[in-house]
Amino acid sequence: MIEIIHLFKKLEDQMVLTDVNLKIALGEILVVLGGSGAGKSVLLQHLIGLMKPDRGSIMIDSKDITRLKERELLQMRKNIGFLFQEGALYDFMNVFENIAFPLQEHTTMNESGIRAKVKEALKIVGLEGADEKFPSELSGGMKKRAALARAIILDSKILFCDEPTSGLDPILSKDITDLIQNISRQLKCTTIITSHDMKNALRIADRVAIVFKGAILATGTQKDILSSQNAYVREFLN
Amino acid sequence: MMNILRSIGRYVIGIFLGLGNAIFFLLEILGNIVKGKIRVQEVLKQIFEQGVQSLVIVALTSFASGAVLAMQGHVMLERFGAKEYVAHLVALSLVRELSPVFTSFIFSGKAGAKIAAELGSMSVNNQIVATRTLGVDPVEFLVVPRFVACFLVLPLLVVFSELLGIMGGYCVSVFEAGIPGSFYVTQTLRVINYVDFFSGLIKTFFFAFLIGWICCYQGFFTQGGSLGVGKYTTKAVAYSYIFVVLSNVFLTKVILALWQ
Ligand SMILES: Nc1ncnc2c1ncn2[C@@H]1O[C@H](COP(=O)(O)OP(=O)(O)OP(=O)(O)O)[C@@H](O)[C@H]1O
Ligand SMILES: [Mg+2]
Repeated sequence: MIEIIHLFKKLEDQMVLTDVNLKIALGEILVVLGGSGAGKSVLLQHLIGLMKPDRGSIMIDSKDITRLKERELLQMRKNIGFLFQEGALYDFMNVFENIAFPLQEHTTMNESGIRAKVKEALKIVGLEGADEKFPSELSGGMKKRAALARAIILDSKILFCDEPTSGLDPILSKDITDLIQNISRQLKCTTIITSHDMKNALRIADRVAIVFKGAILATGTQKDILSSQNAYVREFLN
Repeated sequence: MMNILRSIGRYVIGIFLGLGNAIFFLLEILGNIVKGKIRVQEVLKQIFEQGVQSLVIVALTSFASGAVLAMQGHVMLERFGAKEYVAHLVALSLVRELSPVFTSFIFSGKAGAKIAAELGSMSVNNQIVATRTLGVDPVEFLVVPRFVACFLVLPLLVVFSELLGIMGGYCVSVFEAGIPGSFYVTQTLRVINYVDFFSGLIKTFFFAFLIGWICCYQGFFTQGGSLGVGKYTTKAVAYSYIFVVLSNVFLTKVILALWQ
């Protein structure tokens, strides 16, 4: 379970997060929706300890991660998958090596074990046969698939995805969102996705949170959001 | 007036903040090394890449420099009737000064630029941050191997440069000036003593340290997309040159004072 409590963050004289409060239940898929510059990426960076808040706390499995040191954060992050907007695969490694990297770093698996596990992950994300390719040879969608495989390879129980559909066409966007949903259900991951893609978000989310200028305007299920009376939410829906 | 003062003030503060960050970064690197967190395989890969990259150009430059030194040396020394000292001139100039400094210049332009550009593009493509999200320390994984490799490769390149420079001098002296080859070799071996060799090498280690530190730092903290990579890489090479030149004056002074 993840709980964000009264989170505040100021960056260069600008309040980027103002009193953010959210609870995400075990195994739930939450989509954080908001326009450009709303503070979605900053929020995710707090959740994985890349940024420290000015005030407030973030409880993950009843530990306040805002108080952890970088060493402890590195430990914690082994249990969290993080999908970057552009994938952020190592460009000096091929797809196989990229996905195998966390296994080599954090497990005692032998080579054949790693090979089997990576093959399985490649199959889950639909990238069979691309193991030898380098990131520069992949399309945007394939990069995201490979990055997703790397994010889940340690069987993390938490998955954060930053704008998984940005830069993809509508069909690919749907594929990737469905893929994230499938994986999340299969591995029983608590999942937080940021997006400004209303349609896909509502389709896969258990719950949606709408952010505007660093504050949460509304949270709720698809039905709650669609029937919201909040002026901004209504505007965002159209 | 106040505005000018304020911007100067801001500039000075910026320099000190930058220096503080750079020192903090260096301590992080050294901390990893002291704790033995050195990835041998990565280091070997870096040694190979950095070494191979600079090898040909170091060879060419050194051979040519040695040859030119011998040509000029003949002209000058003949005036004093001291033609047989050409081997001394070539060997001592190379070992004490030219090889360490020139090789460091070449190395910062080749390997240093490579380090800064590689780390820089990783930084702007979020690969460094991604390393942290994978639970791995990016300094340990990406920086330490490059830094350690610098430290090992540059001294080797300098010794290589000294050998090739002496060969250049030998060729000119033997084939142009008609000095017997065996005489040239014995003169060379006799003149280079322990102090000459190690004073050059100590400088080299210091330069390697500076180049590794500067180029890793500039690369690691690169911002601003592909333009940023260009900007920070140029900065890395320029700073390396400046710091090698300046520290060379200082080090030479210290070494001469302590050791002559
Ligand atoms: N490192 C930073 N330093 C200063 N300001 C920042 C930094 N990162 C983000 N901001 C500012 O914080 C605000 C929120 O940025 P954020 O990247 O979280 O937006 P976002 O909701 O993810 O937008 P997008 O949909 O474009 O990705 C923006 O106004 C941005 O300018
Ligand atoms: Mg964003």
